[in-house]
Amino acid sequence: MPDTSYAASPEQTREPLVLRPPRHRIERRAILMWTLNALIWGILVVSGLGIAYALLPDTRPWLGPVLVIFAVIYAVNIAVMPTWRYLVHRWEITDQAVYALNGWITREWRITPISRIQSIDTRRGPLQTMLGLATLKVTTASREGAISIAGLNAAVAEEHSHRLTEITQATPGDAT
Amino acid sequence: MNAGKSVDEPLSEVLTPPPAAPPPPPAQVSAGVPAAGVRTEARAPDGEEVPWQRLNSRLALVDATRFVLTILPSVLVTVVFGRGFDAWPVLIASALGVVVSVMALRRWLTTRFRITEDRVEIRRGLLVRKYRSVPRDRIRTVDTGAKLRHRLTGLRVVTIASGEARTSFKLDAVAKEQAERIRDDLLGVQRNDAAQPEVPERAVEETLLARLRWSWFFYNVLSVWAFLAAALFLWSTSLTLQMFDVDLMEIIRDAIGWEALGVGWSIAVGAGGGFLLGTVGLAISFVKERWNFELVRTRTDDGTALLTRQGLFQTREVYRDDRRLRGIHISEPLLSRWMGLAETEVISTGMRWIPGSDASSAILPRTHVSEAHRVAVLVLGDEHRPLRAPLRAHPRAALYRRLAGTVLTLGIVAGLLAWLGATGALVRGLWLIPVSLMPVGGVLAFVAYRSLGHTMAGPYLVARSGLIRRATVVLQHRGVIGWTLSQSLLQRALGLKTVRVSSAAGARFYEIPDVAADEAVTFIHGGTPELVAEFLADRPAGEPPPDMGHENSSS
Repeated sequence: MPDTSYAASPEQTREPLVLRPPRHRIERRAILMWTLNALIWGILVVSGLGIAYALLPDTRPWLGPVLVIFAVIYAVNIAVMPTWRYLVHRWEITDQAVYALNGWITREWRITPISRIQSIDTRRGPLQTMLGLATLKVTTASREGAISIAGLNAAVAEEHSHRLTEITQATPGDAT
Repeated sequence: MNAGKSVDEPLSEVLTPPPAAPPPPPAQVSAGVPAAGVRTEARAPDGEEVPWQRLNSRLALVDATRFVLTILPSVLVTVVFGRGFDAWPVLIASALGVVVSVMALRRWLTTRFRITEDRVEIRRGLLVRKYRSVPRDRIRTVDTGAKLRHRLTGLRVVTIASGEARTSFKLDAVAKEQAERIRDDLLGVQRNDAAQPEVPERAVEETLLARLRWSWFFYNVLSVWAFLAAALFLWSTSLTLQMFDVDLMEIIRDAIGWEALGVGWSIAVGAGGGFLLGTVGLAISFVKERWNFELVRTRTDDGTALLTRQGLFQTREVYRDDRRLRGIHISEPLLSRWMGLAETEVISTGMRWIPGSDASSAILPRTHVSEAHRVAVLVLGDEHRPLRAPLRAHPRAALYRRLAGTVLTLGIVAGLLAWLGATGALVRGLWLIPVSLMPVGGVLAFVAYRSLGHTMAGPYLVARSGLIRRATVVLQHRGVIGWTLSQSLLQRALGLKTVRVSSAAGARFYEIPDVAADEAVTFIHGGTPELVAEFLADRPAGEPPPDMGHENSSS
């Protein structure tokens, strides 16, 4: 393999570059939000399958294992996912870009330049409203470029949404 | 039977409410106006309304002719051959044709369009009014085409497309001269007004980038699709011939000599014949569509555009604005990679992305990959040769991940089949199929691994991946509107990351799977250093990240 650096400038170091994590964690209440969310879905799905298992004896040979698999998936989801997510999720908004780290089993780093942002919205579901949380969503012209930052303090999300809107209006884009 | 061929209903998809000031009534344009002579795009002075235009009146004649032609087969079958309702396919086809013709006639009666100083507007319908408008600066491509019936009557269909998939206009149809004027007006193509219409387009400043070569014929005609084309043709022909008491299958059986040959040979002869027939079909369609194919770069008012021109009976011209060009996409199907077959497309903003050789992003028919590379250099038009740049191979771990994925998938399928076999839901022993496929899967995993590669070349990023279709993407750094790095637990263990490039152009995002984890950051930094630099760790790799606490307010 030839050189490992893409930069044309000679002062570019050859040691591997590493991304630092975004500066801010999300609200700790997000753990509760994800737990409740997983709990609601888990109860709905598993009890639905359980009722089918109880009422329809014909389906038992194959529904049994399916029920077990779903029960395990939701148990893991309720017990592990919220805390794991909380430990992973981080976000940062600078004057140049929005940078977020999301996920749990699969981690995802996303960087989007502010000059390419097309729309900014904050979303609050019923659970989030209850807990005073909000999701900040930033969309670009690419269907892949969107960044969602879940579990923000509602006031902080609102404030950043306003700030971003101001910056994007001040930043000339190339209309693509 | 020429039924139901083209239901041109581009307007029914979006119903935009009319703007605040409703468009004026259409009656001002009388039907007798020779549409060819009217300069529709004439910009009215301020304060004066630009009149609404009708589609060309010759279209009504075409529709009436079509109406007669579609009912003719039914009349023949029922009256001349004396068959009643057994001939239902013909009758249905005719009924469909009648509906299409009547709709076309109605469309001609109710459609009005106009091109004003800043927008293109179209209006349809008498009772339910449909109105749509696109601002001029949103228009990306203007495409003029003609079906045989248009060509015979000197008409052209003008398709005006904006970036959004749902807002495309179709003016079906206007006079040829008018179509050219609309196109030139909307795209700002420079045209010497003194030049007579007979002078070919060469009069405009143009550079020829590629022209049809007959060697391309084989790349486009030799294909497994030949079988499908043949099967469709045989099926529809035999259905038609049944109307006239002819059993096509029996004729073919007799011609091959089914009994004499035996089953094996019969199938071989049948398949061979089918392939030949399908190939002839593909050859005819290639000649029809690609006749006189040319790819040129032409000058417009405010820049340049890539223009393809092709077709024997229908001429299809597609303009692609160079200012929107962001890169090139070359894809090589697995099964024809041995003969170097490649499909070449441009990556542009504001263009719908439909993979395949019919999309307006496709700038060449299927060609040899070397021709694709030659044209790519001309299209990109600079001294960088991104397609020549040596690609970095991905780490061996990427191969292991592919092998693991193959074994795991086939293993799970085998396990499921074994379990279903044991419970009696399926035949026992089916699980042997996925297990026996594992060596094939292994080879495919290796092929997929070999196709992985990426690099940076001047202002371009180059990425190659894909098994069934090996796609090479060349994308300008300015076409990048964001990065995503992702890492699953398995990738973390193997030290890999997947890079996704977001773009407003082409397929909207491109994936570079399984790059070495630290190389991934170096790669995105190489693409957009000004964007990534502020998020780089300024300490050597390997140290644990400092915990930033959980402050939530903005810094």
